Amino acid sequence: MASSQSDEPAPEEREIDITTSTEPGSDVLWVRTGSEQEMDLPSSPSSSGYAGEGGGSTSATTGSLIEIEHDEEVEQEQMRIQNQIDEISISDSNTSWIPGKRHQDEDDGSISWRKRKKHFFILSNSGKPIYSRYGDEHKLAGFSATLQAIVSFVENGGDSVKLVRAGKHQVVFLVKGPIYLVCISSTEEPYESLRGQLELIYGQMLVILTKSINKCFEKNPKFDMTPLLGGTDTVFSSLIHSFSWNPATFLHAYTCLPLSYATRQAAGAVLQDTADSGVLFATLMCRHKVISLVGAQKASLHPDDMLLLANFVMSSESFRTSESFSPVCLPRYNPSAFLYAYIHYFDADTYLMLLTTNSDAFYHLKDCRLRIETVLLKSNVLSEVQRSLLDGGMHVEDLPTIPQYRTSHLGQHTLPSDSPESFKEANHDIGGPAGLWHFIYRSIYLDQYVSSEFSSPISTRQQQKKLYRAYQKLFTSMHDKGIGPHRTQFRRDENYVLLCWVTQDFELYAAFDPLADKALAIKTCNRVCQWIKDVENEIFLLGASPFSW
Amino acid sequence: MPSRRRTLLKVIILGDSGVGKTSLMNQYVNKKFSNQYKATIGADFLTKEVQFEDRLFTLQIWDTAGQERFQSLGVAFYRGADCCVLVYDVNSVKSFDNLNNWREEFLIQANPSDPENFPFVVIGNKIDIDGGNSRVVSEKKARAWCAAKGNIPYFETSAKEGINVEEAFQTIAKDALKSGEEEELYLPDTIDVGNSSQPRSTGCEC
Repeated sequence: MASSQSDEPAPEEREIDITTSTEPGSDVLWVRTGSEQEMDLPSSPSSSGYAGEGGGSTSATTGSLIEIEHDEEVEQEQMRIQNQIDEISISDSNTSWIPGKRHQDEDDGSISWRKRKKHFFILSNSGKPIYSRYGDEHKLAGFSATLQAIVSFVENGGDSVKLVRAGKHQVVFLVKGPIYLVCISSTEEPYESLRGQLELIYGQMLVILTKSINKCFEKNPKFDMTPLLGGTDTVFSSLIHSFSWNPATFLHAYTCLPLSYATRQAAGAVLQDTADSGVLFATLMCRHKVISLVGAQKASLHPDDMLLLANFVMSSESFRTSESFSPVCLPRYNPSAFLYAYIHYFDADTYLMLLTTNSDAFYHLKDCRLRIETVLLKSNVLSEVQRSLLDGGMHVEDLPTIPQYRTSHLGQHTLPSDSPESFKEANHDIGGPAGLWHFIYRSIYLDQYVSSEFSSPISTRQQQKKLYRAYQKLFTSMHDKGIGPHRTQFRRDENYVLLCWVTQDFELYAAFDPLADKALAIKTCNRVCQWIKDVENEIFLLGASPFSW
Repeated sequence: MPSRRRTLLKVIILGDSGVGKTSLMNQYVNKKFSNQYKATIGADFLTKEVQFEDRLFTLQIWDTAGQERFQSLGVAFYRGADCCVLVYDVNSVKSFDNLNNWREEFLIQANPSDPENFPFVVIGNKIDIDGGNSRVVSEKKARAWCAAKGNIPYFETSAKEGINVEEAFQTIAKDALKSGEEEELYLPDTIDVGNSSQPRSTGCEC
């Protein structure tokens, strides 16, 4: 059950300047990547043979399959007002992000709409719009039809379209039976990441409706599913927002709220009692972090399902105000059918989800919840949760270096005393030792990850998003099926030193000061792994994991 | 996903090349007409919001290319259509004769659940040309054909002058709405883990 192997030697230096592959001879040089441009240059996906559109929103919008004209007037206009257009979703923290649909008044004729860096669309295979991240779905009906025409045109040739590159834009397609999902992005995220995001959006749709919708489309291609999704805008917008801050969306792992082993055990024990009384899954969560999780025998909960379920619950305001009983589908467990979720918030952050197959179980689950609540209060779990929220998790500044002088925020660990050379404190007065700024550690056996708290200099929301995207890129390159998988990667650019180390047991992603010393960085990564091993009882859910079935 | 219920109607416009499909659409949506002929390649898409009996709905208009070489696109384009508009030029017998082919082709490709009652609208366009002197298809003949095909509503229009265009599209919307009323029932399953060791239950896996 050990989640880290500190006794394993650190990646050797000679392996590090280029990506190493398990296959000899496939050395791949990494190109230095410049900093990600946050402001977009105007681009014109203009696609109409008609003059006169593109001048803001009118009642009519047009699109065309093949007639593509470059509209210079529009381009110049875009240039002119570029600076007037606000950047999208920039705030100082995740908590100040306001859920819900933005820019409802836009359509594909709006310059501001065309400038958005990342669009997501869901449409039916008859070209009817189902969801758009920005703008009004009905006003985008022409655009939606264009997307369907592109997909269908390629399908007619016995092929399928996956990716279209147009300048700095990537258009990623995902076909799921009668449902088409499209992402148009100029964020320079890897194709694999964008495709993974479309998969999650599709999964979120299944959470709400199951695959039963396929039958409706089979019977009637005219089927309009937008009424069935009524009021779920915030669920999708909040998921899309999480693509820029929640590592679970690409790591396919979940994260736990740091708690003392005893506290987590107490929560787990009372959940286990519930699971024994006919509940399929019982989870206690704090925001998107797991406090404890118990599954009935043979039932396993996939991290993606947890992500989508937690997003569904947290983004729907009505769950906060009263106890609820709602049909939900877990796409990785069974995409075709509903389970029923009893959902109750103990406080603003902490909520309980009890999943059952029995649609009459509300009162039984209510009783379960009352019992659970009593135990949680008696054993101070809820107050410990609040304290953990205030304290945060692992801080890079607390990375133990010289054991006798420093103690970890998370407590009781000691470093092996036989480490002779004490860490030379790096010259950087911010971040952790050796210029360590941040790390993410993913335990492969546990399907869990832990991410250090953001601290200076990664303090603004924008810097955090930039680092998140860098990790995402790193993750993709490590798992590239064509040239990988890789064991280690060290890359230095003007923003960071990024170090990634993958073993059978874990994946470590670490970001350092761009001037960090390579040897020191490697040593620091070893210490991070040791630190995680020392505190794994507190940061991971061990033992009762349903993934061990 | 708008919170208030709105309806989206997919409308396909078919007819021989040059009968004025694009011009009709442009007149209806943009209130514009151009004498210059520009062939549609593949398809064009326009959107128009319409208020009808206190209901707001959106016409998603698929203006297809009339040339035969684009007919392979049929299946994909016709799928899920709520209404089909057949357009001919009153000054061209051939374009009128071909209405039958267009209708048959549409019914085969779109494969609607109730082909007998699928809403079509027929439009005889270009009644303005030469003051009507070059007209070769009489209104009587056209109306007879429409009656024989299940009382298809018939309109004579001039996309150039904007005559009858609004009225034709009003009918298109009305008829599409009427046939769209029957909603498919959405009946999801619940997982049954009672006796089976397999958590997978019935339902389609695609």
